[in-house]
Amino acid sequence: MRKYAGSWCKINMIEAAAVLSEIRKNGATHVVGIPDNGSRALYRMLWTDPDIRVVSVTREGEAFALAAGLFLGGARPTVLIQNTGFYDSGDAFRGTVVNMAIPLVMIMGYRGYETMSGAGTADTAATFFEPVLKAWDVPCYVMRSSSDSRLISAAFSRSGADSLPVAVIYPGEMR
Amino acid sequence: MLDKYACLRKLFSLRRDEIVVTTMSVAAPWARLSDGPLDFAMVESSMGQAPAFGLGLALARPERRVIVLNGDGSTLMCLGTLVTMAQNPADNLILVIVENGTYEVTGNQPIPGAGLVDFETLARGAGLAHVHTIEDAGDFDACLPLHFKGPGPRVFTWKVRGAEEPVPKPRAYIRQRALELRQALGQ
Repeated sequence: MRKYAGSWCKINMIEAAAVLSEIRKNGATHVVGIPDNGSRALYRMLWTDPDIRVVSVTREGEAFALAAGLFLGGARPTVLIQNTGFYDSGDAFRGTVVNMAIPLVMIMGYRGYETMSGAGTADTAATFFEPVLKAWDVPCYVMRSSSDSRLISAAFSRSGADSLPVAVIYPGEMR
Repeated sequence: MLDKYACLRKLFSLRRDEIVVTTMSVAAPWARLSDGPLDFAMVESSMGQAPAFGLGLALARPERRVIVLNGDGSTLMCLGTLVTMAQNPADNLILVIVENGTYEVTGNQPIPGAGLVDFETLARGAGLAHVHTIEDAGDFDACLPLHFKGPGPRVFTWKVRGAEEPVPKPRAYIRQRALELRQALGQ
C-alpha cells in the first residue's frame, strides 16, 4: 500500500452548530444519510431540529435515490454520509442524482484524512476520495475549520445554478 | 399465477392522479397504457433504487399516492430499502413486487433464490405491516382497491407468469422525464 503525500494539512475541529446553521440557512428540508463518528454531533442536533427531517437509510446508495425523489417532489434534501458510503453508492449516485440533474449538496466525512500526513500507511478511504470525486466530475469543497462552513452555502449556490450534485467534504469529527 | 399484462390493465383502470414509478419488464407495458409526466420509468437509472426514489416522492408529497412497480430481481438488489420504508413510513406509498423469478429483460435468467425467496416474509420481517401476496386473478380483483387506499406503506407481491419483454426504451432521456415529473407536481 503506498504512502500518500497529497493535499494533507492540519485541521481544526468543526463545530456541528456552524454546519447546521448553514444547512438551515439554505432551506434544507430533509437530511438523508447514515451517521458516522465524524457526523454524530451534527446528527444529534438534527434529530431534534424542528424544521429539518432526518431520513435514515440502510445503505448510502438509497440516500441518493431517496434525495432525488424528495427533490422532484418539491423538497430540498441534503445528503450526509461518510466517504466509504459514497464509494458504495456509485451506481445509485450516477443513475439518480447525476442522470436526473438533481441539485444536491452532499456533506461527506473524509475518513482517514489524518493518515495522509505521511507518517505511516495511508487509509485508502482517504487517498481515493478526492481522486474519485474528480474522476466522477463532482465539484468539491473541502471544509477544514468551522469558518469553512460557509463553503456549504457556496455548494448550495453552485448545485442550484448548475443543477448537479456538489460535495462538501470534511476531515475529522465535528463537535 | 397472474398475467402481468392483465394486472397492469386493471391497475390502470383505477388509476387517477397517482405517480407510477416503473422498472425493467414493467416499464414498457405500463408505458403502452400510460406515458405521461406522472408515469416515471426508472430506466437509464440504477437498478434496485426505485422504491427509495418512490419513498422520497411520497415523503415530499404526502397528499399524492406513489405506486412503485418493481421487479423481484430489483427488489433483491436493495432489500434494505424495505427497512427504510418501515423506518420512514409514508401512508401514500405502495410497493408492488412483480415476481416472475427471472431477470426478464436480459433473457429470463433465474434470479438468486427464485422459488425460495418469500417477499412477504421479508417485508414483514423488515417491519412493514401491510403486506399482501397475490397469486390468482380472484385475489387480485379483491386486493386491487387496496392499491389506492391507505394506510401505508403497503407492499404487494404479484406472482406473475413469465414473459419476454425486451429492454425498455423510454420516450425521452431520464433527465427530461425527471424535469417533466417535477413540473407536473407544480414545482
